[in-house]
Amino acid sequence: MLTKLFYYPVIHENLGYILVGNLSQGEPGGLLLTVLLAVSSGLIAILLGFGLALIHWFAPRWLQRGLWLLSEVVRGIPLLLLIFWLYFLLPMWLGRSAPDAVSVVAALSLFNAVTVMISILAGLHALPAGQREAAQASGFSRWQTLRLVLLPQALSHMLPSFVNLFVALIKDTSLAFIVSVPELTMISSQVNNREQVYPLEIFLFAGFLYFVLCSVLSLGAAQLERQLRRNK
Amino acid sequence: MSLGGYHFDWSAVLSGQPLDWLLHGMGVTLELTLLAGVMATLLALVLLSLRLAGPRPLQWIGAGYITLFRNTPLAVQLLFWYFGGVVWLPESARNWLNAGHQLFGIGFPSTELLVGIWSMGLFTAAFLAEELRAGVRAVPQGQLEAARSQGFSQWQSLRLVILPQALAHAWQPLVGQYLNLLKNSPLAMSIAVTEIMYQTSQIESFNFHGIEAYAVASVIYLLLGVVLSAVLTSLNPSPAGLRSNRRAD
Amino acid sequence: MIRFNNVQKHFGDLHVLKDIELEVAKGEVVVICGPSGSGKSTLIRTINRLESIDGGDILIDGHSIYDASRSLNAQRQQIGFVFQQFNLYPHLTALENITLAPRHLAGLGKQEASDLALGLLEQVGLSDKSRHYPSQLSGGQQQRVAIARALALKPKILLFDEPTSALDPEMIGEVLGVMKSLAHHGITMLVVTHEMGFAREVADRVVFIDRGQILESAAPQAFFSNPAHPRARQFLNQLLSPLHLAGETV
Repeated sequence: MLTKLFYYPVIHENLGYILVGNLSQGEPGGLLLTVLLAVSSGLIAILLGFGLALIHWFAPRWLQRGLWLLSEVVRGIPLLLLIFWLYFLLPMWLGRSAPDAVSVVAALSLFNAVTVMISILAGLHALPAGQREAAQASGFSRWQTLRLVLLPQALSHMLPSFVNLFVALIKDTSLAFIVSVPELTMISSQVNNREQVYPLEIFLFAGFLYFVLCSVLSLGAAQLERQLRRNK
Repeated sequence: MSLGGYHFDWSAVLSGQPLDWLLHGMGVTLELTLLAGVMATLLALVLLSLRLAGPRPLQWIGAGYITLFRNTPLAVQLLFWYFGGVVWLPESARNWLNAGHQLFGIGFPSTELLVGIWSMGLFTAAFLAEELRAGVRAVPQGQLEAARSQGFSQWQSLRLVILPQALAHAWQPLVGQYLNLLKNSPLAMSIAVTEIMYQTSQIESFNFHGIEAYAVASVIYLLLGVVLSAVLTSLNPSPAGLRSNRRAD
Repeated sequence: MIRFNNVQKHFGDLHVLKDIELEVAKGEVVVICGPSGSGKSTLIRTINRLESIDGGDILIDGHSIYDASRSLNAQRQQIGFVFQQFNLYPHLTALENITLAPRHLAGLGKQEASDLALGLLEQVGLSDKSRHYPSQLSGGQQQRVAIARALALKPKILLFDEPTSALDPEMIGEVLGVMKSLAHHGITMLVVTHEMGFAREVADRVVFIDRGQILESAAPQAFFSNPAHPRARQFLNQLLSPLHLAGETV
């Protein structure tokens, strides 16, 4: 009778495919691919964003303005449009065709790298001016000041926001479905097209998987934040 | 115009059928964004009231709604409502929607567009409500104490003292969420809503001038964003000294 | 006017108010002092029920403040409260801060309320600041506006919770001056403060509280020249000569 409300068997039959896609044939998909896309984009974004923040910190005015312009454009257009752009430009730059998933990772990395750059710069500027002054008065170079005094403080404040970055990434990977990358949303859509009459069950289940993943990460970030505040 | 070996042909996008498609797409994007925005705003106010002044169970429902809609991707929500949600409507309603009507002389939104508005409205409402709640939490405890000790009721204190300040704190972040709504609108192309990105894909398969189409689309979105941001920021009712400096991210 | 009958209050295991018996006559000016953590702020906050009590009763004009037949909001409208952190409404001008309650609680019209507020601003010496926002005012000016706001509904009782403790030293005088001008004009005042000069000059009575208990209650003359309780003596010594080591007497 419960199956009248929610026909679980359709999930059960397709569970493997939904969770890992065609993994057995070397093509990860579904939830697994979602996680892979999110993690790789996130790591690249953090490294790249960190690099961009450093460049900005030591850069002359014109370069700082250029970076600002880049960030306004990258974040001012829809993420989907950014994916389309890279879908076109990457093959041109690389000289060869790239798998769709790479365009998605590139777009997500770029978008979030810019966010990370802005975040780190904001975090550095939010530190009391006295910190920089005290370090320079002790004779530290600009680089040493940054490395030994400012960054450790700024980054520790920012840890929760990095976790939130991954939460947003998990959700943003679903955009990949529009360019037919077989992550969780795309696969759910495929299963729905095949089964035809169980859209509620399929999309509710997909939503449930995302929900669990995001909620766990969000709670982790909140916990981290509380821990940091206690350690102050 | 040439750049990096690629020869740009703007007329392929800015004239004839492609131009018509783009203009139509812009109209749909605006319709989608504005109507979803209005719906989201009204719903967010309801959610805020539930969380601030409702009885316990309603507070939980409000909090649960916000958590649910914020922790699932918009894409899944769109697909859910399009494939799953529409089947919940009775036969007669579905037929009525599909028949197509005239509203003020312009076409009544298609079923796809209505689903898009509905889904994006529900999604954005959760984010708006959360920003409002953050704004309320940013108001110092002493403000409520001062208002209550003057003899204002809880409701009067909220209305006269807390909410105006909460709005001042939340205004810029709220503008950011409306901008997000604009930037999320392309997802509706996945349920065949003929907004800008749908049209650029169409142009791309029509005459293969995808790059020009994307460039024009980018400019359109950037301009729409600037205008939307300027208009919404100018509507800020708070006195200048109280406005938050937080960027609309 | 105000009567504490064996009032008790706990914060968890901590007994913050212990066997409080206090009577304040109409129109009296009472200063409450004591070391930090003594419960003095908690004490006056119980009068307008910003803090609850766990035992005993508090009576205003013979009626318990916990009498269910009287609305809490109506009671609070008869009591003016001045906070240490001023708590002015930042989204309203000085004038609007004062007119808010008369307009929404006393039903005064816009002009009436405005006239009332201007009068109060004049009383506290700030008539030229009526259109300024709190962020544009100094601490001393904000607190004076806060006092005017507390007077807006013509309360019978005025409570001050360390009104000058958050102020820079040079602004303390202007606020105490306003408080002095209000004293003995019919309004009952309870002031929690460290400002002993004010107590000496203006108070009818000084109440000393330590660790939740009222240890002494005397006229300022008596209290300052010859405090009866040893802890009161210790407190006065530390207050009046801060570098003094504990145990030594004046």
